[in-house]
Formats: sequence, C-alpha cells, structure tokens
Amino acid sequence: MEIEEIRGTFKPELIPKETGGDLDDYEDALHVLMKFMGSMSSALEQVSGRGANAIVYQAGKRMGHESAKMMDKTDNLEKALDEMGDVLGHEFYFEKWKPSGQDSYTTQDGDQVVVKLLFMDCVVRQTLRRTGLPQKGPLCYLLYGYMVGAVEEVMDIKGKIDIDHVGPNACLKTLTITWSGK
Amino acid sequence: MVNIEIDEDACVGCGSCVEDCPNDVYEMDETKNKTKVVKVEDCMACLSCHEICPAQAMEHQDIHVAKRLYIDRKVNYELDRII
Repeated sequence: MEIEEIRGTFKPELIPKETGGDLDDYEDALHVLMKFMGSMSSALEQVSGRGANAIVYQAGKRMGHESAKMMDKTDNLEKALDEMGDVLGHEFYFEKWKPSGQDSYTTQDGDQVVVKLLFMDCVVRQTLRRTGLPQKGPLCYLLYGYMVGAVEEVMDIKGKIDIDHVGPNACLKTLTITWSGK
Repeated sequence: MVNIEIDEDACVGCGSCVEDCPNDVYEMDETKNKTKVVKVEDCMACLSCHEICPAQAMEHQDIHVAKRLYIDRKVNYELDRII
C-alpha cells in the first residue's frame, strides 16, 4: 500500500489543516486503537487476573468524574441520566429500559433507587468484537466506572452498576444509587 | 415496537434461544417442536438469540441496529468486488 506523505510548512502557532486526515485515516487509526485496547485488555487480565477489572473500573471512574464536571449538579436521577447520555454521545448510546410488567423506569428499594439501562451503541463492545474477545470482561468495566463516576459527580451520591445481560446488539445494565451513601 | 419473525422451516427446535433470552421472549411450542414468540414487548433487541441460533431462523424488524465500526470498509470493498 502506498503511503501518502504530507509535506508543508509548519509554524508554531498553527497546525496545518491537511494533517487532520480524511475518513480513511480515521478508520485506520480507529482499528489500530481497537486492536491496541483489545490486546491491552487481555494482557492486563493475564498479568493481574481479576485485578484487571479494578484497573479499568478506576480508569472509567476518572473519565466519568472528568466528564461530569461540565454537567449541572442535580439530585434528579432522570435529569442526570439525560445529561450523561448527552455527554456519552452516540458512541455509548443508552436508553432507560423496563420490562413490560413494570410501571416506571425506576424502582425504589429502601434508600436505593434502581434503574435499568440499555446500552445500544458501545465502542467497548465493538472493540471486543474487533479483537475476538468475550464481552463482560475487563473492558466492560470501563463503562461501569464511567457511569459510577458520572453519577457520583453529578448527584453527589454513591452508585453501582451490574451487568445483567450482554448481546451483540445491546447490553442491559442495572444502575443502583444509594441516597444516603457517599 | 419490535416484531420478531420465526422461520419455522429453518428452526431446528433446539431451544437455545429459549434458554439464552434473559427476558423470556421465546417459549417452545411442544406440539410443533419449534420456538415461538410469547413476550415480544419484553424484547430489548440485544440479538443474543441471533448469535446462538444455529439455523439463523429469526428476524427482528424495526429495531435500533447498533453501529459496527469494527467492520473494515476496505476489506468489505474487496469482498464485494470478488463476490
């Protein structure tokens, strides 16, 4: 394959537009990153066993805290989820989900509120499928950490996510928040 | 709303979809020994059933189809040319 070299003048105060690349460049970069993430995930698991989950969880949590700093603080779970959906964007597109027999999306259990989230578009899932790795592995803990970090930042309460089911087109997760916990 | 079509000629009656579905959308029709859809309203279109079905006997209509950015467009282009 012939590689096209970009030649031009570079001044310290500007980045030449042509270095931004085109769709093919982005696709190549995305595939390399996916492969890199996949092999990093399996290497982490090989070296640190279940500790890999904790490492990725912590990385996700940091991302969640960082992203949520831009969001308005609220104690309304629905509003917080809407804002988190906007920040996560189309690459982690999720919606609230409930079984047909349930009236509302949220259920209260003592001081805990539970909501089921259906993640439809997910870069993590695509990365795992690109590299032939099983779902529910360490990389899935990235979203776990992200949601927990974002919830903690926006609502100032403790949250946790459990993976209910994973599939090739969507994954169902349960977000539990504890009002009294911090 | 999701609509699920089962190709009864293709279904081998293994019951894999019944066991795999987390929301009990499918049930075995004991008389026909084929799977049948009983709770379509609980289908979240995860498509685990598609992955496990050995006969690819089901079709989900009107669902959100997740992006598949892992598909290599260059490879697809070459495959299209060959096929």
